[in-house]
Amino acid sequence: MSVAIKANRLTPYLFLAPAGIILIFALLYPIGYMVYASFLDWSPSQRIGQAEFIGLRNYINLMSDEAFRESFWVTIRFAAVVVTLEMALGVGLALLLDRNIPGMAVLRTVFILPMMIAPIVVGLMWRYMYHPTVGIFNRTLKDMGLEGIPWLSDSTWSFIAVVIADVWQWTPFIFILALAAMQSLPRSALEAAEIDGASEWQKIILIKLPLMMPVLIVTLLLRLIDAFKVLEVILVLTNGGPGLSTEILALRIFRTAQEFQELGEAAAMSNVLLMLLMAITIGMFAYNRVQEARAARQRAIAEKGDD
Amino acid sequence: MLSYLKTTVCAAAGLAMAATSVIADPYADHRGETLVVNFPAHPHFDAVMKVLPEFTKETGINVEVDQLQYLKMRERQTLELTKNKGDYDLIAYVVFSKADYVYADQLENLARYFMNPKLADPNFDAEDLIDGYVANIGVAGGKKGYLPGPTGSLFGLPFGSETSILGYRKDIFEKHDLKVPETYDELLELACLIPELEPGMGGLASRAASGHHASHAFLLHLAPLGGRIFDDEWNPIVDNEAGVKAAEALKKIVNCGAEGSKTFGFAEAGASFLQGNSAMFLDSTVFAGQVNNPDKSKVVGKIGWAPHPVGVRAGSQTGGFGIGIPKNAPNKDAAFLLMQWLTSKEADKLIALAGGNPSRYSTHADPEVNEKFPHMETFGEALKNADPDWRPIIPVWGKINADLGTTLSKIIVDDFPIQESLEGVSVRTRALMDEAGYYTWTQ
Repeated sequence: MSVAIKANRLTPYLFLAPAGIILIFALLYPIGYMVYASFLDWSPSQRIGQAEFIGLRNYINLMSDEAFRESFWVTIRFAAVVVTLEMALGVGLALLLDRNIPGMAVLRTVFILPMMIAPIVVGLMWRYMYHPTVGIFNRTLKDMGLEGIPWLSDSTWSFIAVVIADVWQWTPFIFILALAAMQSLPRSALEAAEIDGASEWQKIILIKLPLMMPVLIVTLLLRLIDAFKVLEVILVLTNGGPGLSTEILALRIFRTAQEFQELGEAAAMSNVLLMLLMAITIGMFAYNRVQEARAARQRAIAEKGDD
Repeated sequence: MLSYLKTTVCAAAGLAMAATSVIADPYADHRGETLVVNFPAHPHFDAVMKVLPEFTKETGINVEVDQLQYLKMRERQTLELTKNKGDYDLIAYVVFSKADYVYADQLENLARYFMNPKLADPNFDAEDLIDGYVANIGVAGGKKGYLPGPTGSLFGLPFGSETSILGYRKDIFEKHDLKVPETYDELLELACLIPELEPGMGGLASRAASGHHASHAFLLHLAPLGGRIFDDEWNPIVDNEAGVKAAEALKKIVNCGAEGSKTFGFAEAGASFLQGNSAMFLDSTVFAGQVNNPDKSKVVGKIGWAPHPVGVRAGSQTGGFGIGIPKNAPNKDAAFLLMQWLTSKEADKLIALAGGNPSRYSTHADPEVNEKFPHMETFGEALKNADPDWRPIIPVWGKINADLGTTLSKIIVDDFPIQESLEGVSVRTRALMDEAGYYTWTQ
């Protein structure tokens, strides 16, 4: 092999190198640092070099830590509930508003307003609205002669309260993505369905939703990852209480590092969360891949049939 | 002739004295130096900021203050103290940091400064400093490791410390001819009687929010009711009779409290009292500065103060801040001079007059201070019972505190059985303590 060919082959790597180096320093180094820290008994008063190496003990402790297990299930429950509700509402709204109504542009902007508000502010706002005496909800209930609801001072209600706040803030995100996906659907397919006499419901279930599926899956994934990491709204709204009823993992991690001063254990928790999210992401993409492959096979069979 | 001689001698003596007083400037060596100090954003330290220019005027030592929000301050300090050469000459720290910083060997032992005749002021009068505060925030290495004792030594001085005090609505108490509670039985009875007498008003505004707040409120009652978290051999005893009584007291107080009191933190409990929604308030003295501020309070002039009620013993909380010199401070001697000046009788009084929390008995008894803040004398009396051991100051406390706080929240909100729940805390605490090595010598 001549030198010229060799150089030629190396060229792409040379061009990739800067990006690669940035990736190593900006992404892999911090993650590696966190993974390493999760094997240490490390308090913030020590430098990382002074911390004691304790192998997997942080992870073993986590498995037997009741509070962590409770947080873990709270997180799963929270993510499942909010993402399901947000997907249903967001896609539903998009289906309703995918038409030419006068003033639509203004309406759309109004709809996505909640998303633009800083989470801390959202937390404070809702906390005030949930206030047992001066909050709007209980005042309205009382004006109607009903009992006030212990929004933030009851385990079940406080979970519902944080779910409502999260749904309020993040449904618009799904709404705008779903709407964008819907508006880029091929009109020809819809027109063909109309000519074939499909009803509105049939159009939605058989054409619009399946065609939107790739976008919806990515949206779902983004929301799911975010829902697992939500911190500020809950921090302000309930600070995890009452008991541990709303203490999601991100809050537990924050407290472990900040209040309990155990950086190693906090790192181990973050890794567990990271692995969980990775598993979900990989699972979701694998499912998508299988679906696409099946669609491709069906298309191939159909094309063969045409021949 | 004799008289002439006399005058000359007198004049000479006078001159000599004047000369020594000019020469006797303990600050001379440090004139022109600049100290960097780290203080929290806190009412006491806001008052300190008003008094600090006096120090520079008197000593010629400049002071740069880095005032941070309390949680931020802790974060910054943890970073600063691990550096080889730090930026801070003097830091304010909370009680819990004492356990961390002293154990990590990051605070100067103050013995060598108080031994240094060029630095230590013989008129400092350390006896006058409030014992409970010094024991709580300053000393480490004695009994249980975090208290004074034959093996203990001084690492900091109380500065912006607080104790618990009972605030009550004088008008409500007069209206119904109620007696200010002196014992826990009286307090608990009143806490539930007031909502009956004054519909819509809560008895005692208490914190109860899950975590630190609930735990704090519980500990306030635990010490006077005779309980402790650990016995002398670090066995958790929070689930004994006194512990159960304290939890019952807290639950009763919250149930008879103003609406929403199950999730009150310090701020909400305080607001409830200031807004006139609760008749009593039992918490830190730092709160007292706000009750007569018409911007924040609807109960100006209506509040009386009394010592923390007594259970089987008198014991009020100790907490707040202290000041110490980091091991890696650049100007340690000058930092000590500032520290000594700030906690001296004169400065303590100046700071108290500017709205801070005094650290000395003499300031609490001072007529001028009492004229401006009439509650100071009651506070001074209450401080004689300040209990430095009302909660343990050990590095694993953060985790135990959180567990205790969430368990108490479950007891208050979800009616979990008290005895069993506290036994759970006890078992989990034992495991934590075991892991941290507290049973190495007893097993």
